[in-house]
Amino acid sequence: MYWLACELHTHTYHSDGRQTLSELAEGSAKLGFECIALTDHNTLSGIEDREKVEREWGVTIIPGMEWTTFHGHMLTLGLQEFVDWRTSEPHNIYKGISEVHQKAGLVGMAHPYRIGSPICTGCYWEYEIQNWDDIDYIEVWSGTFPSIKTDNLRAFSLWTDRLNEGCRIAATSGRDWHAQVATEEPVSVTYLGLRADKPNEMKQIAQDAVHALRHGSAVVTIGPLVTMEVESASSRFGIGDSVPAPGSDHNERFGGYWGHVKTVFSNRQGLWELPEQKFALKIIGNAGMVAERSVGAEDEVYRMNIPEGGLLWVRAELWGTVHGARALIAFTNAIYFNEGRGNE
Amino acid sequence: MLLYITGQVTPDDSRQHFAHRFNLDHPTAKIWIRFNYSPKVLEDNERAKPLIMAGIDLYSAPEQKQLLQGGWERYLPLTNLITVSVDDPEGNRGACHRHDPEQLLFLAERDSSPGLTKGRMVAGIWSVTLSLHSIVTEQCSYHLTVWASEEET
Repeated sequence: MYWLACELHTHTYHSDGRQTLSELAEGSAKLGFECIALTDHNTLSGIEDREKVEREWGVTIIPGMEWTTFHGHMLTLGLQEFVDWRTSEPHNIYKGISEVHQKAGLVGMAHPYRIGSPICTGCYWEYEIQNWDDIDYIEVWSGTFPSIKTDNLRAFSLWTDRLNEGCRIAATSGRDWHAQVATEEPVSVTYLGLRADKPNEMKQIAQDAVHALRHGSAVVTIGPLVTMEVESASSRFGIGDSVPAPGSDHNERFGGYWGHVKTVFSNRQGLWELPEQKFALKIIGNAGMVAERSVGAEDEVYRMNIPEGGLLWVRAELWGTVHGARALIAFTNAIYFNEGRGNE
Repeated sequence: MLLYITGQVTPDDSRQHFAHRFNLDHPTAKIWIRFNYSPKVLEDNERAKPLIMAGIDLYSAPEQKQLLQGGWERYLPLTNLITVSVDDPEGNRGACHRHDPEQLLFLAERDSSPGLTKGRMVAGIWSVTLSLHSIVTEQCSYHLTVWASEEET
């Protein structure tokens, strides 16, 4: 598994950004991003310079678009064909989503709780969602120092609520990056888990990244990389995977599962910092807190027990103090369990 | 001249698309689009205040409403936003989602304005769609002019 550092929400002069694609890629490389999604508002025209810019800065570019409609902003990733954003009405977004999916693209809700019209028309998601399986991911962290912002807390809760309902849906961050302006605030990274090593060919990296997000193999952080595997009686499962329900013949002494949570504080060295402290490492699931322990700023793997019984999903979270505030620093996407899903 | 449209819209026209079609009767080297609207900014803060308060009330978390409404001025000024997108007889040619109230845009085979896509300048029915994301002033007038040029440079 290779964890690819990505920024998944960006804009250039091709919409209302104040940067060229090259300037965006340069700024991304300086922040340690290996991959960006170009998500200009309602246009794909900026992707034309993709190969030249990829060669120039060594940053992979995923084609995308932000449907900047009257009733919500929806990110699409991984398709270069146009799907008409102008036909969307509050009750029919599923049609546009279906067309994006037919063209092998992904859809994500962008900043779903940002204040809408007339302050920012469409910034608040008002589309009726009849089937949450239509939504591939929710941008739960938007902007810089995202974890303390009220709009993002609501988006994070929306995601958790969907997981609790049994939906399998990914969560990402996106800076909604419009210009190369320095910030003192923490910048978030979405790491996408590539199945194998990082390919050499840029288009393959982009394809693998989209595949990873489709699978839910993603973790989000403003600092250390936190990943997790779940060990069952018979196997290990990664983020986005589904753990089969224990069979009728499973060992009665099976005491649940083991979460192997890995913290990597040596990632993107020099590009982020946190005050010296003990962090709280948690495993959270549909039943609430599953496990918790204190950890230092080390590259380490922690083995934490996950009791069986009614599990639908778990994720790892790292909490600590950031700029004087108690904040969520990193979280994994979910590992799903079939044992809590009944006989579906 | 392929198209010359002037119009006036009001807040009731917000969240609508107006598609303006024109016929290009023979292939051309370049199409120019000049679009402007005015006013851009709602200068009357007394008129803006209830609109902002209503937006906060509708969209913010219950526990945040009072705090945000107490600082409603941070959302000033409210602005009109109309954006342009273009379709040729064969498909979409992009959009210019930006906040400038005056835009001079072009499309040609080997180049185009940012947001629009370069490509063949084929004959047939083209359209320029105006997307009225937000009209906050009592009236907003716009002008849309489209013309062809036989010279690409």
